[in-house]
Amino acid sequence: MCMNDKENSLLGPAREQRDEAAQEEARLIRQAQDGNQRAFEALVRLHERLVFGIIGSFLRRRQDVEDLAQEVFLKAYLAIGRFRPGAPFAPWLHRIAVNTSYDHLRGIRRRPEIGIADLAESEADFLDRYVEKGYLSGGGEADDRLAARDLAERILATLRPKDRLAITLREVNGFEIAQIARSLGCSRAAAKVRLFRARRAMQAALRRLIRQDEQEKGMGDRAARGGRDDLS
Amino acid sequence: MTCRDTENLLELERKGEIPAGEQQALKLHLAACRRCGETAKVARLSSVLLGTLRQEIVPGTSFYARLGERLAATGSDQPDSTLLHAWGFARRLIPAVALGVLVLAGVTISLGGPSMPRQVQGANSKDIYAFSLEEVNLTGSVERPNQDQMLAFVLMQGEVQGAGSGE
Repeated sequence: MCMNDKENSLLGPAREQRDEAAQEEARLIRQAQDGNQRAFEALVRLHERLVFGIIGSFLRRRQDVEDLAQEVFLKAYLAIGRFRPGAPFAPWLHRIAVNTSYDHLRGIRRRPEIGIADLAESEADFLDRYVEKGYLSGGGEADDRLAARDLAERILATLRPKDRLAITLREVNGFEIAQIARSLGCSRAAAKVRLFRARRAMQAALRRLIRQDEQEKGMGDRAARGGRDDLS
Repeated sequence: MTCRDTENLLELERKGEIPAGEQQALKLHLAACRRCGETAKVARLSSVLLGTLRQEIVPGTSFYARLGERLAATGSDQPDSTLLHAWGFARRLIPAVALGVLVLAGVTISLGGPSMPRQVQGANSKDIYAFSLEEVNLTGSVERPNQDQMLAFVLMQGEVQGAGSGE
């Protein structure tokens, strides 16, 4: 048996399963287009994970995530009549999810540049520990994780909504550049520019915070030394 | 290892694709070069922060019941899919039709359609229609008056002048 035959015999069942899933999805889409609500709900269940993943990277509270997900699925239900049969369904739904998230982000006022004084105590402590140790393992403590998420959201809130979407879709949801471009309705080059700009802005904000933290620490050390000198 | 190599290796590290052999060299360079050390610290912190945004949320038990209610409420408002297809097709046609109308209007204007003469007030409060020189010179637009018409014009002018001096 040659290598290709071996591969085919191994991949065969997987390919068959994929084809069956695609046919089932196409059947559900046709039924949903004819107004079958049950069929639409079955479609939602097939794609809920990714829609919740996209929204969950912008919103933290479960209730808020569920509310926005409801909006996404409602919009999809109202627009499914316009969906072209045979076209891939997942990217179409992702685009609705991304557009709904974008509308949500646009509604939030962008924050100005942040400084170390703007951080909550937990965030400042987290940053301080990071600067001291220099490296954090992925599995930090729960409090550290919460503080890190707060800090991430605070920094991302200073970015333009589309730049924020680009970096979140790439780094959190693992989208490829082509997928980001399709979801944002722009060219691949434009998506790359947005991603680059978002990364640079985020790193610039962090660099500024770390420098301020180090400066404050330096001042604190000098003050402590001064106090000891006075005592001696 | 140069600082440029370090940038590339940090990028590979971010993607989780850094070769095992390069990891030690990267570590040594970061310890020696202050600038690269700071860049690495910031890049790694950025990845750590973004990683915390990843969360697995599963819809709650009431999610589908609520969605079902909302879909049912909008179900009666949902337009027929055939109508939606027709509307989608018509929507794509609108720009083409608008462009056609614009082109047609442009062609009509450039060919010089019939223009209205300007209306000006005469000395005796009678309206006189004035044609521009360009319009008069258009071939065939104004014919040379015959003798009777010229005589009638001269007599009319006399009447107009007489009426003007009598006032």
